[in-house]
Amino acid sequence: MCVSDTLQKMHVHIYRQCISVIITVNYSCIVARKQSLFQHMLSTLPKCIEQAKAYSTVVTVGSLHAVKLLYVKVVKDCRSQFEHWKKVENDYESLQERLRTLPDKLSYDIMVPFGPLAFMPGKLVHTNELTVLLGDNWFAKCSAKQADALVEHRKKHVKNTLDDLQKVMKNFQNRADFTDDLEKLTGDTGDFVDIREEVINEEEVTKAKHRLAHKANSKPKQEYLLDLEEDKEKKEGDEEGTTGVLSEEELWARLDELERQEELQDERYRLDSTDTNGEDTTSSSEEEKEADGGSDVQVNGHQKENGWVPTSITSQMNGTNGSHPEDEEEEDCDEEAGNGLPTIYFSHTAEFKKVRINTGKNTTLKFSERNEQKAQAKRKKKSGKSNGHSPHESYKITSPADIYRVFVDLVNGEPIPRKSILKSRSRENSVCSDTSESSTADFEERRAAFGRSWSHDDATHSDTSDGITEEESPTGTSPHTNGCFEAFTSTVIEKDPLPCSIPHLTIAPPALPTIPERKLEEVGPEAPQEPPKWMSKFKATRLHQK
Amino acid sequence: MAEAIHKKLQSELEKYQQMQKDVSKSMTSRQKLEAQLTENNIVKEELALLDSQNTVYKLIGPVLVKQDLDEAKATVSKRLEYINGEIQRYETLLKELERKSEQHREVLSSLQQEYQRAQAQNP
Repeated sequence: MCVSDTLQKMHVHIYRQCISVIITVNYSCIVARKQSLFQHMLSTLPKCIEQAKAYSTVVTVGSLHAVKLLYVKVVKDCRSQFEHWKKVENDYESLQERLRTLPDKLSYDIMVPFGPLAFMPGKLVHTNELTVLLGDNWFAKCSAKQADALVEHRKKHVKNTLDDLQKVMKNFQNRADFTDDLEKLTGDTGDFVDIREEVINEEEVTKAKHRLAHKANSKPKQEYLLDLEEDKEKKEGDEEGTTGVLSEEELWARLDELERQEELQDERYRLDSTDTNGEDTTSSSEEEKEADGGSDVQVNGHQKENGWVPTSITSQMNGTNGSHPEDEEEEDCDEEAGNGLPTIYFSHTAEFKKVRINTGKNTTLKFSERNEQKAQAKRKKKSGKSNGHSPHESYKITSPADIYRVFVDLVNGEPIPRKSILKSRSRENSVCSDTSESSTADFEERRAAFGRSWSHDDATHSDTSDGITEEESPTGTSPHTNGCFEAFTSTVIEKDPLPCSIPHLTIAPPALPTIPERKLEEVGPEAPQEPPKWMSKFKATRLHQK
Repeated sequence: MAEAIHKKLQSELEKYQQMQKDVSKSMTSRQKLEAQLTENNIVKEELALLDSQNTVYKLIGPVLVKQDLDEAKATVSKRLEYINGEIQRYETLLKELERKSEQHREVLSSLQQEYQRAQAQNP
């Protein structure tokens, strides 16, 4: 009933007010369209907010980068919606303007749209009567001013929506920035920096035989250190994901590489000397292993500032690499430690390194000098075996260091620095405690162990500088005593210094009895050969000096 | 053995997917209700701005039907209440579905593990 009534009414009025109806309908349509749009926007907003919430929950999962992308996406969406709502607001503004000016005239002459393609001239009447869509299919007839109030009310809603969008956008923008910063932080691995020192003259040849004096450190200790470093780094690497830690395979590869280098050098030495290089290779292999560990310790960004360790290892490394310590201090930094780390390239200036050499404990000697002297001594002694002339040249003792160079035992063809007569912890570990064996093979092992024990001591932070004496004195004295074997006693050894050797022997306190005894036994087999030589050489030196 | 587990896994997976669809469906309907809620709120506010002099029409199909202002207000309020109730209902439904889907997820993961184990045992 109601419906038909309305229809009739419409029919009645249609001619009289057709235009106005159309206009009002149009206006209401416009308003309705706006309204529907408005409603649509309002409806989508909760969705957006929920989406944003969903994004925020997703944030907790996934990598930083993906999260950042998500945030950026949310920000973009928010921005687009913001644009949209801004447009809506502008439309409402213009509508308000129209509403204000509309009642100024009783009627307007306009071109009325007739369908989608046609217009027809018409009049706009009843300019104050408006049918406004309130939403949800509700309409209300009201004046322009009332409509204006309604529009104002709607604009408030739009403004609220815009504010919310702004807040969300800002929030997610901040989050994106934060993830950026976080990424930077983690990417830079904090304060860790890879310090690299390029190695030049890697292939430089030095006589590695002097290495025998300070054998490879007790491997367990080195490895222990190494493992610590690795563990520490692994942890940090896990956290950060970028620190480079040498794997075991890389270590072994490096080891093999160094071994090959060592063998090459040994080949060269074989030309000079008649010594077997078996020891060399074994010792060098040990040294290489150490060197590996050492380099690992050094190259990695988090160095243990263990004063002696790097230097001694580096010295050994230098030895194994064959680089002359005099020339430059080089570190083999071939390992790819810390690929992702910022790298500082570091190079030492050439200088003599003071390194504790494994000549018993507390040895601080200019490494280069010692190496050089030993090498010289070795070479000369070897040549001296054959021709006997060259030794004289090498025995020019002008400095205490020369003494160490001079008084190097040629045991089994290998020059061994004399053990210091000082008390040292190494003695417990040293081979000299084992006095039962006398075979050359055993002697070699012992010697190797001896050197190892010395290096072990080195690892234990010895500080005095008498290691050399420890090293040299026993070996030095024993040959001499061998010559006068019958008169020799353990205690006498230390007090039985060669006149020339007084300078360094007086520095050292008496050595323990066991060492000389052992040396006696070791040298025993060679006694017939060497002592005479030593004596002669020594005498020659003395004479030469005089 | 592995085959049986595989079949079970498949069925569970399907069930889970179905559940997910239900969840999404209820989600969308809830969102619709939310939109209607806001709309009706605005209508209520605007009706409050009007006075009885203005005639209020309701669009029923193609017809604008005259309504009383008070009537309209009452109708809108009732509609609001109805919408609120619906939202509540959908909320509970959604929670329930979520819980069920969680359970399903767990079942699925355990089945998957079993399946992998079975695969490992009999390659």
